[in-house]
Formats: sequence, C-alpha cells, structure tokens
Amino acid sequence: MIGFLSRRLLSAIPVLFVVSLVTFLILWLVPGDITAEIAGPDATAEDLAAIRARLGLDRPLWERALAWYADLFRGDLGYSYLLNRPVSEAVLERLPVTLSLAGLALVMATAMGMLLGILAAVRHNTLVDQGAMVTALIGLSIPDFWFGIVMIILFGVWLGWFPTGGFVPLAEDPVGWARSMALPAITLALTQMGVIARMTRSAMLDVLGQDYIRTARAKGMKRSTVVFRHGLRNAMIPIVTVVGVITGVLLSGAVVIETVFSLPGVGRLIIGAIQRRDFPIIQGGLLITACVFVFVNILVDMLYAWFDPRVRNDR
Amino acid sequence: MRPQLQQSGLFRAITVASVLALSAGALGAPAALAQVQGGELVVVQGSNPPSLDAMVTSSQASRNINMNMYETLYGFSEDVRPIPILAEGVEISDDGLTYVFTLRQGVLFHNGKEMTSEDVKASLERYRVVGATANKLDPVREIEVTGPYEVTFHMVAPTPTFLESFSSPRAPAVIIPAEDAEAEAGRTSLIGTGPYRFVEFVPDSHVTIERFDDYTADTRHDGVDGFGGRKTAYLDRVIFRIIPEPGAQVAALEAGEVHIVEQMPMPAARRLADSPDITLYENMPWAFTTFHLNLNVPPTDNVKFREAVQVALDMEAIMAISSEGLYQLNHGWQYPGTAYWAGDIGAEYYNLGDVDRAQELLAEAGYDGETFSILTDPNIPQHGRAAVVIAEQLNGVGINAVINQVDWPTALSIRLQDEGWNGWTLQMGIEPYLGPVGTIATLTSPARPHFVVPDPELDALYQELISGVTLEERQETFSRIQARMYEIFASIKIGDSGLMQAGRANVQGFIPFRFPRMHDVWLEG
Repeated sequence: MIGFLSRRLLSAIPVLFVVSLVTFLILWLVPGDITAEIAGPDATAEDLAAIRARLGLDRPLWERALAWYADLFRGDLGYSYLLNRPVSEAVLERLPVTLSLAGLALVMATAMGMLLGILAAVRHNTLVDQGAMVTALIGLSIPDFWFGIVMIILFGVWLGWFPTGGFVPLAEDPVGWARSMALPAITLALTQMGVIARMTRSAMLDVLGQDYIRTARAKGMKRSTVVFRHGLRNAMIPIVTVVGVITGVLLSGAVVIETVFSLPGVGRLIIGAIQRRDFPIIQGGLLITACVFVFVNILVDMLYAWFDPRVRNDR
Repeated sequence: MRPQLQQSGLFRAITVASVLALSAGALGAPAALAQVQGGELVVVQGSNPPSLDAMVTSSQASRNINMNMYETLYGFSEDVRPIPILAEGVEISDDGLTYVFTLRQGVLFHNGKEMTSEDVKASLERYRVVGATANKLDPVREIEVTGPYEVTFHMVAPTPTFLESFSSPRAPAVIIPAEDAEAEAGRTSLIGTGPYRFVEFVPDSHVTIERFDDYTADTRHDGVDGFGGRKTAYLDRVIFRIIPEPGAQVAALEAGEVHIVEQMPMPAARRLADSPDITLYENMPWAFTTFHLNLNVPPTDNVKFREAVQVALDMEAIMAISSEGLYQLNHGWQYPGTAYWAGDIGAEYYNLGDVDRAQELLAEAGYDGETFSILTDPNIPQHGRAAVVIAEQLNGVGINAVINQVDWPTALSIRLQDEGWNGWTLQMGIEPYLGPVGTIATLTSPARPHFVVPDPELDALYQELISGVTLEERQETFSRIQARMYEIFASIKIGDSGLMQAGRANVQGFIPFRFPRMHDVWLEG
C-alpha cells in the first residue's frame, strides 16, 4: 500500500505544476489588474503605472512566474495585495469552513443518495422506484442558489429554526456550528444526492442480477445480507467513483453556497480575489484547492483498492 | 424653463420622515427620546472593507466602518461646510499662505495616549506618502509643529478651496498616533480617536468595533453635525457583517438577526414598506448617474453627434429603471439646494427624448452608422441597467449602439485606453457630495478626464474655480462650467439616484448619512 500511495503522490506533482502554470497564463490573459481596485475610477495611467511598479506587476510574466515558483519551493505562497497578509494564512484560515461545508454535504448526499438508490433497485419498477428517481431528478434540476434562498426564507425567516447566514467556528460553539452549517450543507447536498442515487440504482441493478446473488438468495440468506453484504459491496466501485467526482463538484459548488449563506470560505475568497484581480490569492487559493482535489482522488483510488483486492494486486 | 427636478412618488412619505429626522439630528440629539446605553447592533454591507487603514482607501465599504473609529482635523457638517472636529479652529493668514490649526486638548487615542501636534504632523506626513488622495496636501509646502496643540501649514500658493478638499472624507486624512506613522499602508494598529474602537476583522465575515469609553466628545456642539459634532456612543458593540447576496441581507433583517441594511434592494423595500418591524430610510440624493463619452474616437469625437446623444435620451426612463425607482431628475452638475447649484443652465437639453431633433443632429454630424460601443459592468447594478436603456433609446434614433459589459476591473482597464469604447456609464458617489471641485476634477486636467481628451476651456474654468477667492466668485465660475458642459456634451448627466437603507424598528436615532453613523444610535427594548 505504501508503494501504491507513493506512486500516486508522485503523479500529483505534474498535475499541480500544470494547474499553477495554467492559472498563471489565464491571469495573464485576463484584462485589468489589482491597480484598478486600488486606484479607483479616477486614476490616471501614470497612477496605475506607479502602483503596478510598486507591486512588481510591471515585470515580465516569466520573471513573475519564476519568482513565484522560487517562493513556492520555500513554502511561501505569496502575499495578498488587498488582504495585506500571507496567502497561505488567508487560505488555510478559511479552508475549515469550505471543507466542513463540503464534507457535511458529501455525507448527507452520499447517505441519502445511496439510500434512495438501493430502495429504487430493490423495489425495481414499483412506485418506490419511481418516487425515488423523481426525488433524485428534482434534486438534480433545482439550481442551488435558488434553493438556498428558499431555505433561508422558509427555515430562517418564517420558522426561525436556523440562522439565515454566517459561520460559527466548531471550536467556539459546536451547536452554533451545526446550526450555521445545516441549511448550507442540505442545500449543497440536495443537488448531488440525485447523481449518487441514480448511479447507486444502476450499479445495484447490475449486481443484483448476477448469478452469485441468485445463489445467495437460493441458499436462504437474509435479504438484508444479500443486498448489503453481497450486493452493495460489489456495487461500490462505480459509486465510489461518482462520490469522488462529486467531492470535487461539492468543493466548487461551495463557492455559490458560501455567497448565498455568507460563509467565509475559500470559494468566496477566490471569487473576491478574481473580482479584484488579487493575483497571489487566486494563484495560491487555486493551488491549495487543486491539492485538495488531488488528495480526494488518491483517497478514491485507495478505496478502490480496499473494496476490490484485484486493484491492489495489479499494482 | 424650470429646473428639472422631480422625485419618484413612491417614497415621498419616507423622504419626509428622513428630512424630519435629518433636521432633528442637525439640531442635536432628539431630546424627547430616552437613549439607552448598551447592546450590540449589527449592520450589514455587501463587501469587505479593502482596508481599515482609513488613509489608504477611498472605498465606501471602508468608510462605513472607519468613520466610526477615526476622526480628522476638519470634516464636513451636515450641510457640507468644513467644520473643526479634532481642531479647535484654524487661522488663515491674509495672504492665504499660512494656516494655523489649534488642536482640541485632552483628546485621547484608543490606546489611552493624548493627541498632540506631533501626532497630527506625523499622521499628515504619512498621508502624503500612503494617502489614497494624497494630492489634497499638494498645496501644503511644510507642516510645522508650532506648539504642543498647534500645527502650522505653510502653503505653496494661496488655495481658497484648500479647507474644503482637506475636509474631504473620500480617503480621510485621519489623525493616528505618531507611533503608527511609519507603518506601511494597511499595517497600522488601527488606533484612532473616534467613539468606537477596533476589535476584530474576519474577512468575508465581519468587522467588530466597540464603544471607546474614554472618548472625548466635542462639547462645542449640542449634537451630531455631519462628520463632526458632539458624538455619543450608546452601543457596547457594533458588528459590520459582510453579506454579499442582497436576498440574504433582507432575510437576515426580516429574521431580526441584523439591525441595519446599508443598501436595501428596492423591490424588498417596497415589499416591507408597511411592515411594523422595519423602518426604511431614504438617503437621497446619494449619487450622480452619468454617461461619459470618449472624445478621442469617432463618432463621439464629433460634438454634433454628442449633442444628438444628449437630446435623444429620455432621462426619466433611464433613471426609473437604473435606480429601480429611487431617483430625482436633475440636469445640474451639483445637487439642488447646495451652494453651487447653477439653476436652469443646460436644462433645455435635458430629458428631451427628442427623436426628430436627434436625427437632424446625426445628419448634421454626417453619422454613417458607425458602432457606438457602451462600456459598462454588472458589479454596480445601476451601470448595467442604465447602459441597457441608453442603448435602446439610441438605437431608436438610428445610432448603432452596442453594449460591452465586462467586470469592473476590466471596465476600468478599458476606459483608460484611448480607443475601444465610446460611452461609459458611471455612478459618481462621493464626488458630487464633495462639491464642484471634487466633481469637476474628474473631468479636467491634470487628471485624465473621464471623456479622455481634455477641453482647454473647461480646464481653465477649473483652475479659476479652485483659485476663486470668494464663494460668490466660485459660484459664478461654476455656472460657467455647467454652461460649458452643455456646450461640449462630453459627459452627460442622467440624474440623481438615492440609496435605500433599512433598519429594525427598535433602532433609534439612526439618521441616513454618507456613512452609517453608529454614534447617537441606540437600541430600544
């Protein structure tokens, strides 16, 4: 397993390098820079040039890229022009918000999605199957920002059960944290629950039609044992693949949800940085986000190996 | 023709309430209401303050918070006159070359240290280096400490409008402890002399300030007066929450989680107008809605074409849609009722929507269907909405108007190019409030005029304006400036828009102003 993990980690290096390089090139192509935000609408070209020189933005792209990579090897992601603080500090401070949002949403989406998918497969071609799939389709079709606002109005304004927005750190107040994360996590989970439900149903239908399942049933094995031990475990590979993909989608979807629910996460940080052209935050934020994606992919690969011995034996 | 001044009817009642409240505030704290000390008030705004180092930013999001924590030597009164705040007063020599500022004694910084002239000199020297509008100190050759509570400005040349520009809150020249004077931009300890002091800033979440119990109130006044006056902090803490989504802001207000929404969406204001839990505050006028033309490229390099654009526009439709109904029609380049209001000048060209005349002018200009590119952005919603209506109206008279909508940094970048755009929609917020100098400075040299190519006559008038010795002289000059604006049609005044604000009904003493003043505000019940 250690060799498997090492190979995976090594293969992440070129991925992260390409991500950072592409980010650099995109930022170079985008018109406008931070000077517009700093100087305001009345600035002259000379004002902007002076600010650009002060921030080093007048240097050629390759020179800035080399300096950035040199700093990166020293563990320095740069300094935010607008936040006036190190990028790593700003991003890592917000990472728990985004990770807890995406993590909670992932747990909810996976639990609900798998439950719906299993129910639909076991009760194939019944009203239960159709009901589960309609629910999944509704989840897939509703735009998350709209659903978020509806949740705020319903549970925040009308019923007053949850706060309408804001974040409470877990260490400060666990109950407050749970209350502040409930609506955003449910909103984010709903959209992805449908994907997991449909994949689970399809994988389970495939597995439940296999000979060994029929044999297990013929032996008089309990239905739950057949479904969960023999059926679900063998259907897990495609489900885990989808869950891995969805983790990435949830992390990117968190950008919208963080804005709607006023959560100070990495998504909002990067969006704000893009709007103001705070390049160091964009570069550093995207690199750290890419690291999370890569880590999730490695985790998914490890789960493959755990669920299917053939995968680890092939390595 | 009478001046074009018209206000949307929907919120007339609110306006009356606001004016009454404003009058009460200007005359001092309302005596009939019992103020309550304590409590925590939450204000909502849509974006992070770019900096809490007040000198380095001209952002409204920063000003909203900073002006509760910092003070200046001079600032504007409720009726936009320079009044002493941390200064006792100023003596200006007859030749206009020396300003002797006497300081109020016993004023404490948030760290407990008393403010002296050393702090004032150090702060203003820092402002020269890092101030976002450092050029307002250009007329000052030297700042000299002439006593423990006295500083003297030695001027380069007489500058009659210096005190007005020095009082500007745009990027305020606040007084901070001398120990912070060497700090780079954004690296101070955020210590001021204001009624509230800094507690914490969590970007994208909130800024917290708390009452400064040792605040030294200006006892020369009976109550608040603009940026100055006698300020009393009743609240224990004020939290400025950052909620970017307008719908979420309104939901938080309705749920009672926040007390004041700094910028209320108009549809929500209409919906909540009758709610007993919510009070609406109409902050009118708040900004100019303007449309700047690029004189460097065809077809907008032709004055006849620009005149055609001016007469083609129906300002009422543009304002109604861009402001979502909170506006007043005003052809002037100053607000009605202010010292420099220039009356009817130019009104004959305003809000005409005259298709026939526009088409005649286009024929005279030899317009041949060239593209008229309107640069705009969605970040400030009025910009994009105004551009859509303008484009529709111009298409209606035969102008080939197209909209180039990009994000705000890109728009700023494009508008600095000499080519590639013809018109640019812009909300001018703080400049009109600052008076004619602040407004016209953006349209004349030595800055790059918003319409790209300087107009020598307008430049000369601007110089005359800033060197006019008496108010009457400057008023007369400004009248000629407004007349010139309606000769060159380089920048088109669309109208004045307002800012709708809202609060919970238990918020008392709140008077809409250029920033949410948290002093003299208290919570009832």
